[in-house]
Amino acid sequence: MRPAELAQRALQLMRAQGFDAAQVDAVQRQQTELNVALNQPSLLRSTEQIRLVLVGLVDGRRASTEFSGLEDEPLREAVAALHDEACNSPQDEAYAVSSGQQGVIAQGPLEIEEAEVSVQLAEAVTDLLAFRAEHTPTMMMQEGAASFTRLQQHTLTTGGSEIAAQLAWYELSAVGNAREGGRSSSFNYAGGSTHALAGQPAHTWFGIDAMMQTLTRQTDPQKLQEKFVGEVLLTPQAVGSLLEWLLAQVGDAQLIAGSSVMRDRVGQAVASPLLNLRSRFDGPGVLGVSADAFLARPVELLQQGRLTGLLPTLYGSRKTGLPHGPAAASGWVLAAGTPTLDEMIGAVRRGALVGRLSMGVPAANGDFSGVIKNSFAIQDGAIGPALAETMVTGNMAQMLRDVIAVSREQLDTGDHCLPWLRVGGLRFS
Amino acid sequence: MAPGDSALERGNALITYTETRQHALDKLRMVMIDGHLATHQHSVDAGRSVRVHEGGYWGFASSPTADAPELERRARVHAKAMTAFGARSALPLPGGAYRGEHRFEGRPVLSARECTDRLSALQAHCRSRFPGLRSTRLMLQQEQHFKHVTTSQGADASMSIQRAVFGMVLLAEDERGLPIEVYKHFSCRGGLADLDFSLEKLAPYIDELHHHLQAKRHAVPARGGLHTVVLAPDLAGMLAHEAMGHPCEADLVLGGAVTADLVGRRVASDLVTMVDFAHHALGQEAMVPVYADDEGTPARDAVLIERGMLKDFMSSRETAQALGTEPTGSARAYGPHDEPLVRMRNTAILPGTDQLENMIAGVEDGYLLLSTSNGQADSTTEFMFGISLGYEIRNGKRARAIRDTTLSGNAIQALQTVDAVSDDMHWDCAGYCGKKQPMVVSMGGPALRARAHLGGE
Repeated sequence: MRPAELAQRALQLMRAQGFDAAQVDAVQRQQTELNVALNQPSLLRSTEQIRLVLVGLVDGRRASTEFSGLEDEPLREAVAALHDEACNSPQDEAYAVSSGQQGVIAQGPLEIEEAEVSVQLAEAVTDLLAFRAEHTPTMMMQEGAASFTRLQQHTLTTGGSEIAAQLAWYELSAVGNAREGGRSSSFNYAGGSTHALAGQPAHTWFGIDAMMQTLTRQTDPQKLQEKFVGEVLLTPQAVGSLLEWLLAQVGDAQLIAGSSVMRDRVGQAVASPLLNLRSRFDGPGVLGVSADAFLARPVELLQQGRLTGLLPTLYGSRKTGLPHGPAAASGWVLAAGTPTLDEMIGAVRRGALVGRLSMGVPAANGDFSGVIKNSFAIQDGAIGPALAETMVTGNMAQMLRDVIAVSREQLDTGDHCLPWLRVGGLRFS
Repeated sequence: MAPGDSALERGNALITYTETRQHALDKLRMVMIDGHLATHQHSVDAGRSVRVHEGGYWGFASSPTADAPELERRARVHAKAMTAFGARSALPLPGGAYRGEHRFEGRPVLSARECTDRLSALQAHCRSRFPGLRSTRLMLQQEQHFKHVTTSQGADASMSIQRAVFGMVLLAEDERGLPIEVYKHFSCRGGLADLDFSLEKLAPYIDELHHHLQAKRHAVPARGGLHTVVLAPDLAGMLAHEAMGHPCEADLVLGGAVTADLVGRRVASDLVTMVDFAHHALGQEAMVPVYADDEGTPARDAVLIERGMLKDFMSSRETAQALGTEPTGSARAYGPHDEPLVRMRNTAILPGTDQLENMIAGVEDGYLLLSTSNGQADSTTEFMFGISLGYEIRNGKRARAIRDTTLSGNAIQALQTVDAVSDDMHWDCAGYCGKKQPMVVSMGGPALRARAHLGGE
């Protein structure tokens, strides 16, 4: 049974069961993946998953269930059990399902033959391992993967929404560390998704080559000799931590709980005027549909540092009274700036080029302390030694405001496209 | 390489191992925010997988619908295709074959109504007793894994792993008007019916948590740098897991973790003994009992550190073969479509003879760290974990609360500074370990006193 038929069947059963409103997502996902372990090709896999996600509302009460399989009897049983669970849940007038959403999404190499996929994945892994052996022999690729995924999703609601999506995309990733003379670097990773794997060597995708080369220069890291207040030059991977915090601030959990520091800031400057953040909900591997069955329309969340809106789901919107902001699970672009990365490094008097932030969940107010991993000291505009056991302390909201420069270069990993950011006022210890 | 028919024609390799796993993962999650049930989700992910080891390579196939012979055929095609990468050693994989069945028999399942009624009662209690709270967030989670593993070496093991978690977050404003929160959770082996999250049980803990929240309203930043820290038992398990657990996983060891060269050498003080327990710990069945792993290997304890000396690693069949040891039964897969990887099971630092209050009293200037958010390990043994609740220690007494911070250090250096280990023990199975796949693990430990690096001003 295809996803469209499965979704129709499930919605029919939910109506018959007596739900007042319902949403059904039928998802079929097929993946071929070639894995690397410890610098060697190790495993080839094919997996198929079929998933039905049912959300049912009855008498102002809601429950949801998700299960795998196609058989009719288990589906009937699941619908009946869901009805029972919903009837036993508390009432909440904010519960609702989407209505009137109509869309057909088709992205990526949907027509490619499996044999061609296999050849491309094998060539990608061969290239990654050859690059490692030739250019970064001290780097151990702990794990690596080249994969191809096909996803079909059919979403229906009793409100008349119907969204059909077909996506196909490739992914590449590499994880590892470098080792030399008994010393080891921290581990790091790079990867991303694309619609066309062929056309450029695998190691040049998603900054994989730069990550591998950088690891080989980090086997002899040095500790800081003293505390100071300085600047960080965040790589796109570290910028991702900042973006993740911002998106959490404008999403349901923080808005409903009242812990968002952005909730009352719409229309105001919450970041440096250098920051422009827009969605790209049609990127490789990104399904431009929200979890509650709304087409995710393009949005520009930051315009020259000004927050233009929030992203609550339909439930979050009805719960808080804030305007609804449907968004996909990922797909964001932070616009490039003017200076080159080299110019930005040259402008830092004292600080660090931060490869990755390893830290606990930032506090509700944005305070954080993080170990800066895969990082180098910067002194008087020049890159210095790799750093060991170095922490920076600051506040996420303040960091957004303290962005001094945005790089001309960006790293596009498919789901996100991010530049390097220079940020001042961080405490090093 | 040209996978497909041409590779198949070339492939004439030896099948050394086949494993079939039937796996169902059943999860329930509820989140109640200020009396409103924001999340009520139930999911079941079920399927079958077959993995074959042939010619030194692995082939894997999984599906919710395909039968075992069809999946084995696919997996063999994949493994054969891999041989086009070149010949590899294909020695038989080591390890025994477990035969047996282990299921947890817990209390009768709680209905959704019973769960939401208890959450509502807790919310009402928080609202009436502490009207100054800005928000209360309660979370329930139940996760059950049912697996049946058979292997070509004769294993036939049926196993279940079940855990339940209750968590609560109290949110208020600090003296600057900014949001602050405190979090506490409880976990147990079994389902939600086996976890006591009644108002009667939790009321004293809510009072205590609110007390911490009030202290945190006036919290001061930690002083960044190296300090003497007393880690409450809740945190020692995290230290065990992150600091030395991950660097003792055989795949990381083979990948160049610094522990590779340290077997038989001192990596901690005499007071530290650390074990990854398979299914029983200190006379009781562990929270995540693994009698056989997902390769059908009989699971055994791995004593990682014994009185300060590095002793053993956790391994799968393949990594044990590479290290020349016997596998510990640590190959575990999270979902039906995942392959087994080397993972921890129940990792703990064993209790000592000190008392927590005496350990605090012995600190002139330091920090008492009570609660953690998450952590991360590294191949260098440099660890970090978030601290969401802590206090200064001044002249042997608990002083001001500190703002959220991060604890880090080199595990070997930090564990060598341990000068006190308490005689109590706290186990927890609430979180996930992340390493390509998530994983349910438990961690445990007593209170520890050591020197480590705190982030701050």
